[in-house]
Amino acid sequence: MKRKMLSAVLCAAMVLSMGVSAFAEEASLPDASGKTFAIVTKSAGNPFNEREESGFQEVIEACGGTAIIKQPEAATADAQVSVIQSLISQGVDSISIAANDENALQAALEEATDEGIKVSSFDSKVNADSRLTFVNQAGVSEIGVTLMEAVYDIAGGEGQWAILSATSQAANQNAWIEAMKATMEADEKYANLELVEVAYGDDELQKSTDQTQALLDKYPDLKVICAPTTVGINAAAKVLQDKNSSVKLTGLGLPSEMKEYIGDDDAHSCPYMYLWNPIDLGRLAAYTAIALVNGDITGAAGESFEAGEMGTFEIVESDDGGTEIILGAPFKFDASNIEEWAEVY
Amino acid sequence: MAGKSGRTISAAPEKAWKTTIFSWEGIMVCIFLAVNILCMCLSPNYQLKNVLREMPKYLAEIFLMFPMVYILILGDIDLTVGATVCLAASLGCLASNAGLPMILVLVLMLVVGTVCGFVNGLVLTKFTELPPMIVTLATQIIFRGIAEIALGSGGSVSLADYKSFKVLAGKVGIVPYIFFLVIIIGIIFAVVLAKTTFGRKLYAIGSNSVAAEYAGIHVQKIRLIVFTITGLMAGLGAIFLTSVLYGANTTTGQGFELDVIAMAVFGGVSTAGGKGKMAGAMISAFTIVCLRIGLGLVNVNAQVILIILGVLLILAVMLPNIVTMVKNQKKTAARR
Repeated sequence: MKRKMLSAVLCAAMVLSMGVSAFAEEASLPDASGKTFAIVTKSAGNPFNEREESGFQEVIEACGGTAIIKQPEAATADAQVSVIQSLISQGVDSISIAANDENALQAALEEATDEGIKVSSFDSKVNADSRLTFVNQAGVSEIGVTLMEAVYDIAGGEGQWAILSATSQAANQNAWIEAMKATMEADEKYANLELVEVAYGDDELQKSTDQTQALLDKYPDLKVICAPTTVGINAAAKVLQDKNSSVKLTGLGLPSEMKEYIGDDDAHSCPYMYLWNPIDLGRLAAYTAIALVNGDITGAAGESFEAGEMGTFEIVESDDGGTEIILGAPFKFDASNIEEWAEVY
Repeated sequence: MAGKSGRTISAAPEKAWKTTIFSWEGIMVCIFLAVNILCMCLSPNYQLKNVLREMPKYLAEIFLMFPMVYILILGDIDLTVGATVCLAASLGCLASNAGLPMILVLVLMLVVGTVCGFVNGLVLTKFTELPPMIVTLATQIIFRGIAEIALGSGGSVSLADYKSFKVLAGKVGIVPYIFFLVIIIGIIFAVVLAKTTFGRKLYAIGSNSVAAEYAGIHVQKIRLIVFTITGLMAGLGAIFLTSVLYGANTTTGQGFELDVIAMAVFGGVSTAGGKGKMAGAMISAFTIVCLRIGLGLVNVNAQVILIILGVLLILAVMLPNIVTMVKNQKKTAARR
């Protein structure tokens, strides 16, 4: 009874904090009691990852399960292999992972699957053979189109622009960059935009700062930098704003980190940016893991499941031959709403 | 037992026993046991089968520690090993995907590693004034750079034929093949170091390379051999790492050089050269691996684990100094 009360209160708190209005009746939570659910993120000290972890933990605990949060010692696939191995030894029921390399975790994750662990990925996927399904923050093409449109708009339709990414082998980053390139080639209106370089800041603040600086030095005519990574955009925003540069910025960033850089005037380096909600992403990853462990879904396309107060989600085919669950379209943050969202995450 | 010469050997066994216990290797064995007992108390999952299952990824690093001990004893250092692993693994995977048969891929990885080591050795022995730390730092960047170019955009290659490599990750019962190989190669390295003239020469060079040169030891030739062997072992490490990762990327092997140096130093090998034993390094390597696995099992934050290892390393390096300090103080006190 106490637990039910607690979960109801937690649910209400969650919903209120996110400002979701469509909360008609009390959502029934799936039962995860006695089960252990592990989440493995890409690196430590990454605020986006930390929000995903908190969303995941919140749902697992509200449903009565135990959550294990694991961060690798470095943002590499090598380090994630050790983490997966350790989780296999602990006999967890499920692993939800944001991968640092799409293919390098296959051996470890297959071993986990052989031990009866339900493996799913979120945020940054592992290959189709290593997972049951993938919780995708937004459709890849949607992100490509949205960011390309932003670059076009901010650049005024023409000029040089560059991308500041995370590591060169991050699957999600590469997919989005490819999608942006594809969008640019597909439409004549982007013909006057020139992508001069894709720089890699490895999701480290200092390296991203250095890379931004290098871009400014190398391309004096640069108009826009697009950083589809929260660490990269934060570093670039500071560099551009400190230097009072005419180069503008967009991409994917955390509102709380980007608050002071977002604005329409020349004093701010970033007119607007996008992101989905990492807390919701963590929550959906948790509901997916619970549904997999409880046998409500197997990860096959066409299945659907209840994700508590988030509603019903359907599993669809993904273009890599596996399946995925899409959270939703990216959300726009600009001068009008940044203050409010900076409080949230 | 006293012989005609008047010398007695009756006290020898006791003394040997004492020195063994109080030697660095003896202390290492105690620490190793303590770590294992601690881990067993911490986690019910710290069982032999789990530890052995988690070990292969770490064991690939231990291959690199053996020649690193030689290099440290020589008074040199090699920061390239991680990058060499990366280059050998990357080129091997690319060649495998291009259709090269498995056996040739393995040979290729060993050759790439050996060539990398040879290049290091050649530069260091032809230009003997160059500090090995700077030279290997530079070649590290070069080797990783070549790997990044070979891997192209995306910076990652995954093995199409990973099933052949999976065989290497096989087990006898619960013991992975690589475990036996590490032990066998470790023993070979230990015997060469302790029982052969080659091993004696390493110590001689590390203690005083000028004196060794005058004593007729081909110092540069031996350095070249040791650096080349290091490359070869990096190739071997790359093979086994590939069998765990089914591919390679630009971060493969990142940080191995420092892990390996830490293992050796913790095992009582001096970075100043001329000091250290393979047994100590090997026990220390397994101690560190067990501690990592154990702390991982109780979900200690990965960064905290690194801090713990760092503190242990500092303590290990400080301990001999503290002992000498205490001894000196006693001596001065006695004189007064």
